Amino acid sequence: MRKHGLSLSGIALMVSILFLGGCWDRSEINDMAIVTAAAIDKLDGQSIELTLQLFIPKALGGGSGSGGGAPSGGQQLTFVRSGKGLNIADAASKLQARLPRRIFWGHCKVFILGEAFAREGVKEEMDYLFRHPQPRERAFMFVSQGQAAEMLRPVPPLERYTAEVARELSEQKIGIRVTLKEFLEMLDGEGQAAALPYLRLQPPQKGEKKNQSVPFIAGTAVFKRDKMNGLLTMRTTRGALWLRKEIQKASITVRLQGTKREFITMTPIRQRIEIKPRIHDGQWIIHVHIHTVGDLVQNGTNLDPMNPDLLHLMEQAVQRSIADRVEEALDRLQRNLNADIIGFGESFHRAYPKPWRQARERWDELFPKVQVRMDIRVNIRRPGLGSVPAAVPSDEVKEK
Amino acid sequence: MPRVCMIRQGVRGMGGFFRKSSGTNGNRGSEDRNAGTKGNVPASSLSSDHDANVEQLRQIYANCADVVFRPFLIGGVTKATVIYIEGLTSVKDLNENFLGVLMDPSAEDLSIQSLLESKVRISKVEKVKSCEDCVAALSSGYPVLLAEGQSDGMALGLSAWDKRQIEEPSAEASVRGPREGFTETIGVSVSQLRRILKTPALKIEALKIGSLSRTQVMIAYLEGIVDKTVLDEVRERLKRIRIDGILESSYLEEMIEDAPYSPFPQVKTTERPDTACSGLLEGRVVVLTEGTPFAMVVPTTLFSLLQSQEDYYQHYIVSTAIRWLRYLFVALSLLLPSLYVAVLTFHQEMVPTSLLITMAASRESVPFPALVEALLMEVTFEVLREAGVRLPKQVGAAVSIVGALVIGQAAVQAGIVSAPMVIVVAITGIASFMVPRYVVGLAIRMLRFPMMLLAGSLGLLGIMLGLILILIHLSNLRSFGVPYLSPVAPLKPGELKDVAIRAPWWAMDTRPHMSENDRLVRQPPGQRPGPHRKKQ
Amino acid sequence: MTAMLEKGKISAVQMSFLLYAIVIGTVIISVPATIGKHAKNDLWLSPIWASLFGMIAVGVSIGLHRMFPRLTLIQSLSRIFGRIPGKLLGLAYLVFYLILNGHGIRLYADFIVGTALPSTPILVLMATMIFVASVAVYGGIEGIGRSSQVIVPLYVLTFLIIVLLLLPDAKPNRLFPMLENGIVPSLKGAVTPQGWFAETLLLSFILPCLSDSKKAMKWGLAAVLAVMTTLVLANLIILLLYGNNVSRYVYPLLSATRYISYAEFFENVEAALVAIWVLGNFIKFSIIQYAVVLGTAQWLELADYRPLVWPIGFVMLLIGFWSLPNQMVLTQYSSTVFPYYSLLFQTILPLFILFVAFLRIRASRGGPTSG
Repeated sequence: MRKHGLSLSGIALMVSILFLGGCWDRSEINDMAIVTAAAIDKLDGQSIELTLQLFIPKALGGGSGSGGGAPSGGQQLTFVRSGKGLNIADAASKLQARLPRRIFWGHCKVFILGEAFAREGVKEEMDYLFRHPQPRERAFMFVSQGQAAEMLRPVPPLERYTAEVARELSEQKIGIRVTLKEFLEMLDGEGQAAALPYLRLQPPQKGEKKNQSVPFIAGTAVFKRDKMNGLLTMRTTRGALWLRKEIQKASITVRLQGTKREFITMTPIRQRIEIKPRIHDGQWIIHVHIHTVGDLVQNGTNLDPMNPDLLHLMEQAVQRSIADRVEEALDRLQRNLNADIIGFGESFHRAYPKPWRQARERWDELFPKVQVRMDIRVNIRRPGLGSVPAAVPSDEVKEK
Repeated sequence: MPRVCMIRQGVRGMGGFFRKSSGTNGNRGSEDRNAGTKGNVPASSLSSDHDANVEQLRQIYANCADVVFRPFLIGGVTKATVIYIEGLTSVKDLNENFLGVLMDPSAEDLSIQSLLESKVRISKVEKVKSCEDCVAALSSGYPVLLAEGQSDGMALGLSAWDKRQIEEPSAEASVRGPREGFTETIGVSVSQLRRILKTPALKIEALKIGSLSRTQVMIAYLEGIVDKTVLDEVRERLKRIRIDGILESSYLEEMIEDAPYSPFPQVKTTERPDTACSGLLEGRVVVLTEGTPFAMVVPTTLFSLLQSQEDYYQHYIVSTAIRWLRYLFVALSLLLPSLYVAVLTFHQEMVPTSLLITMAASRESVPFPALVEALLMEVTFEVLREAGVRLPKQVGAAVSIVGALVIGQAAVQAGIVSAPMVIVVAITGIASFMVPRYVVGLAIRMLRFPMMLLAGSLGLLGIMLGLILILIHLSNLRSFGVPYLSPVAPLKPGELKDVAIRAPWWAMDTRPHMSENDRLVRQPPGQRPGPHRKKQ
Repeated sequence: MTAMLEKGKISAVQMSFLLYAIVIGTVIISVPATIGKHAKNDLWLSPIWASLFGMIAVGVSIGLHRMFPRLTLIQSLSRIFGRIPGKLLGLAYLVFYLILNGHGIRLYADFIVGTALPSTPILVLMATMIFVASVAVYGGIEGIGRSSQVIVPLYVLTFLIIVLLLLPDAKPNRLFPMLENGIVPSLKGAVTPQGWFAETLLLSFILPCLSDSKKAMKWGLAAVLAVMTTLVLANLIILLLYGNNVSRYVYPLLSATRYISYAEFFENVEAALVAIWVLGNFIKFSIIQYAVVLGTAQWLELADYRPLVWPIGFVMLLIGFWSLPNQMVLTQYSSTVFPYYSLLFQTILPLFILFVAFLRIRASRGGPTSG
């Protein structure tokens, strides 16, 4: 019978080596400063300021007895610290010098870039986030109005800390949702343009304390190469989302033609969006097919939606609204900002590799000239729980 | 020192061989060293001289107050002595069926032989030719008759002693299934096997092992099904044993193991006759030992040790689910504390953020690093468990539950350990009870500690290294020639039906393939039950 | 010369698992990035071309085995070329595999230190791995074969689960444009992995221990196909996730796994991937060390290979530690030097050896043999 040949002294030797050497990577949780969000700003055009939102374990009540649970009263769960340096790595190490615990990026889900910093170009600092093994690629990126650090300071009423707020907002996909990986992809993609959600602080309302405000998504920051060069409003963002095929549960409110102030609202549930590139006689064309399906949510007119013809009117109205939004977005992106964040370049590359290879140097000139033909179809499938408009007496309901 | 007795090959009557060596080994064996203590049993045969024989035996059994020498006259004429050990003999039978008959005056004319043939109403009678045969017979409770003019003695099969009733084995209880267990009396155990497998193919070979204890050991197997190489190996190893006393089958186990340094058991021990018989039906060999209800089933594999007999009595779907749960929890009982230590110390990014925050909060007041905390708690738990085993039943249950709860709670409140750690230890403890065989559970418990140390120094990598070492060890381990990880490695797809799932009985067509085996098929295939089939 | 140093036997299935682990172990960690650098979008085609070299190596090994059923490569070299040239060639092969394993262990250790355990000295990582591999080799090929039967299915299962989990983030249109620059980029991308595929030549060290060598061809090719499929899948999923950026990542599959996130709860599972890669690599390093140890014992005509296990392990440790200053040099070596080194030793030379052997057999027996 075969011995597996491991003598007792061999085992003892091995074990002692492990312990004499020490455990090099051992780190206790309580020796770590857990970062929940990071904000990057550029100061006087030279140095980088890195602000970290760090978690306070003590605030959860400690481990003795009843431990865990929500913080008592308005006690803050996180606190904020800044460090300055030549780049992020440098700033991080200066910041570390002022913290009793080691910075741990593993749970940082939110990165906010200050607007000033974004406008000057972000590519050097992006390298740190890409190369260092700790930051997660799944973290969400934002651009903030003004100083990014300001986004981290307030204490939000609903979530535990502002990083949560930003993250949850992103998940809802009202604006653009961009992870670190996607941002990097956009930056070195064919379109050479990128977009990030734009955060703004909501001013505190009456009765709320000064620091009790909440950041919210106010639009989209558009980057050309790695510099931010413009902003899309929420309206225009909506159009861009249609083109990026990222629209989710937004709601579309539209005024019916011929009426002054009567609106209907519809929520799209499912959409099929196809972006087809075509080169025809030297003219670069993109066909956008949008087919969206949804339910009626609010009917402010006195038209009866149960009538297919009247329903069709409503659908047309929604169609026009979508077309308008998309037009607006295209206008701004193609002519105004000249930033291809909608993936037109990629589409052409995939469909027409050879012409693309010749043309890609001149994409800056070509992009504004791309013609966009839209084909939008809307179907309202269900009227919700009510049929005729509510609170309208039956004789006023238009059935034809 | 006179050389001790010769080997008596083929003497079946006594029920055993002698474990003495022949030739060279004897002088080096433990016999000679202990010779002074056991009383020399001279190699001499019995002579026709009745008094000389009795005198010899008296000398051998000097200072043994429980050996009774009863001289009497056969038929009032011939001098005879019956020797027996009180407590091991059925005195009533001795009196009525033997002494009564022989002392009757009508016995005078008949020879001993004809007396035995016609008058003595005892079912088993054997000749003894030498002193040590007498000693062997007496030790087994057989009274020995020495008569004037007879050069042989007679051993009478009148052994009887108080024995434990057949009870449900405490360590292997089951919800459904037979509730009988083996007892310390080997005869009863063998009879239990016979009752289940009523075939003459069930062969029982007897050995006596242990120079002072001369414990009877029986090898049981089903001829035609058992693997001959394994059987020969078992016999060979048992015969090789030189020891002074066998008190439990674990002595045998340790002496015949393939890998004595391995924490994993290479024999399956069981108290249940049905488990033993299921092993016999699979072609394994069962070794019974006098004096203990624990029988050994060899060869065994890791997966066989992780099965419980009850798996076969419950519905197969349920059993399959329970098997999977069992595998998972066996793995957990080995790995959970190590994983906890590794993740918390090296891979904190694996923990979901909110959980991490809670854990960080609960660990704020704990002074120890995770590894030390884990070791502390595990050791405490082991201590509690071991201590609980010795306590009387009523007190034991209360102490362990209350003790665990109170200690755990108090420790958490004092800030010595964190609450998640207590949970981890509790789950690990429960998981270790999922292991059906206590010994495997022991092995895993032991291995848990080195794993924790590895996890504490190298994190998940350390755990992997530990698992690799265990895997290498298991891969190289054999139990009587059968690879320990069979049928997973080497892969035998046909046998996986009893490992990965518990196939219903109508699908269990073949026996496990231990080595080359003739009788692989145990039942005709195609017996899936269904609505009544067409009558032929 | 034909004395068997290894008395254990393994089955063809176990051999297949071993082959799978040998190739996949290190190739999946960082080679996709190299493939991506040359092949861009077509990187998923490259493993298909490269697998050809694996099949060649398997074919040569089995061919040699049929001619010399109980000899490993080292032993048969002396038979084919005569004593001195055979020994020289044998030495060259032993050195080749010695260095291969040393570098492989270095790749593995760099990976672990770079991603999971940054402060641990690389020597510790390499030493522990060599330690466990040596223990395994000491126990003999049967133990390694059986361990692989447990580890490899687990490995494959984990890999498939990870691919499944990554599907939601994979965008199929990144597949296009296909073959944008013709077939050449994917061929260029195949240059590096072919060296890895050809490591199946190690089969020639294991074949004498097979218990059922009739099935060897079938299972050997099955292993090559399995490796090819795994690599194609891996490359595909990386492509669908990262598009053109694959070569920017040093460890693409690892970075991809880091991206998995479900319900905010099931996140950061790359530690599990690292763990399973450790297991797979253990098999690879054990088998190669086994081959080198066995080969050296046969080369020196010793009676037992066991005394060589620890010294050779130690030499591999030294090679891994001292031969390369940093990870970049290793990557460069793997893509510029190793492909040609391997092409010579694992493809061209074996074909030549087979050819010569065939001629010899024919000449000595006066006719084609049955094997």
